[in-house]
Amino acid sequence: MTRWFEDIAVNEVFHLGSHLFSAQEIIDFATEYDPQYFHIDPEAARHSHFGGLIASGWHTVCVGQRKMIDALSAEEERLRGLGQKPGVAGPSPGVNAMTFTVPVRPGDTVTFSLTVTNKRRSNSIPGWGVLFNQITAANQRGETVYTAELISFSKLRDYTMPARLKLLQGLAKVPLLGRVLARMT
Amino acid sequence: MTNPVTANRRHFEDLAVGEIIKIAKTTVNKQMVTSFARQFDPLPFHLDETAAKASLLGGLAASGWQTGALGLRALVDGFLSGIASAGGLGFSNLKWKNPVMAGDTIDGTITVADLRRSNSHPQWGIVTLDFDVRNQKGASVLTMRLANLVEVRTQ
Repeated sequence: MTRWFEDIAVNEVFHLGSHLFSAQEIIDFATEYDPQYFHIDPEAARHSHFGGLIASGWHTVCVGQRKMIDALSAEEERLRGLGQKPGVAGPSPGVNAMTFTVPVRPGDTVTFSLTVTNKRRSNSIPGWGVLFNQITAANQRGETVYTAELISFSKLRDYTMPARLKLLQGLAKVPLLGRVLARMT
Repeated sequence: MTNPVTANRRHFEDLAVGEIIKIAKTTVNKQMVTSFARQFDPLPFHLDETAAKASLLGGLAASGWQTGALGLRALVDGFLSGIASAGGLGFSNLKWKNPVMAGDTIDGTITVADLRRSNSHPQWGIVTLDFDVRNQKGASVLTMRLANLVEVRTQ
């Protein structure tokens, strides 16, 4: 989230907006990354149990990622507009589970939402917090097409680095010493 | 009812635990990183070198979703296109262990870890695939597990 870790409320739902999947973009994505016949060939796809073309699950999740980043940017703009300094979103260490429940077909409009279900301070990265995000995507009939439990990092606002760590980070910048320190820690 | 597209492919009965699919060496260059990120993951550390240097990753790095997509492509070419695949059920334990920096070369393996018949759908089995993607230093960059449906030949 582009909010400071301290400002993120557990169980608050963020609406990430919708995306209309066209046949062309389903085929384009799958041609590059997931060229199975039911993702790229509408004729052959009729013989599959899906009965027609469906989007690659990885494609729908990538679109969900895009919607999430767009929502973060909008939140950042909103906070700047209020004269506040926005927080910092970090990279993600992983996804616990990602389940495809109903196929996405050409012409489907998928609506994404995100709920932070839990948060804690990072043990491994000082000054950062860990967020557990539940992402849900639903089609125009309200059927869930996928859910994902995404883990992400968010920066702490109220954090002062202990003097010992500051010194270590400073020393690590000295070329030879840095390598020795990296081997020690 | 036979599916003419998959009739001559390997079916559930033809698969064995322990089969290894190789992920061929791929260099993830700066252009690939920024073009994927612009479309799906427009965070500063995937788009802009200066912003990336100041970030937690310390330099321009590929979206983790891109690394996964490249692994998936290797699985389709090396395995799923040759079997009677009936679609993915989902991924689990996806871990981005180290960033893939622009210019890194990745490769790795995908292993058939488990095979079982579906309890609810006798026409399908479930093949479990473990991804292990590494960089040119041999460090792990991505691991994940995919559960994929495959048609059973005899019912």
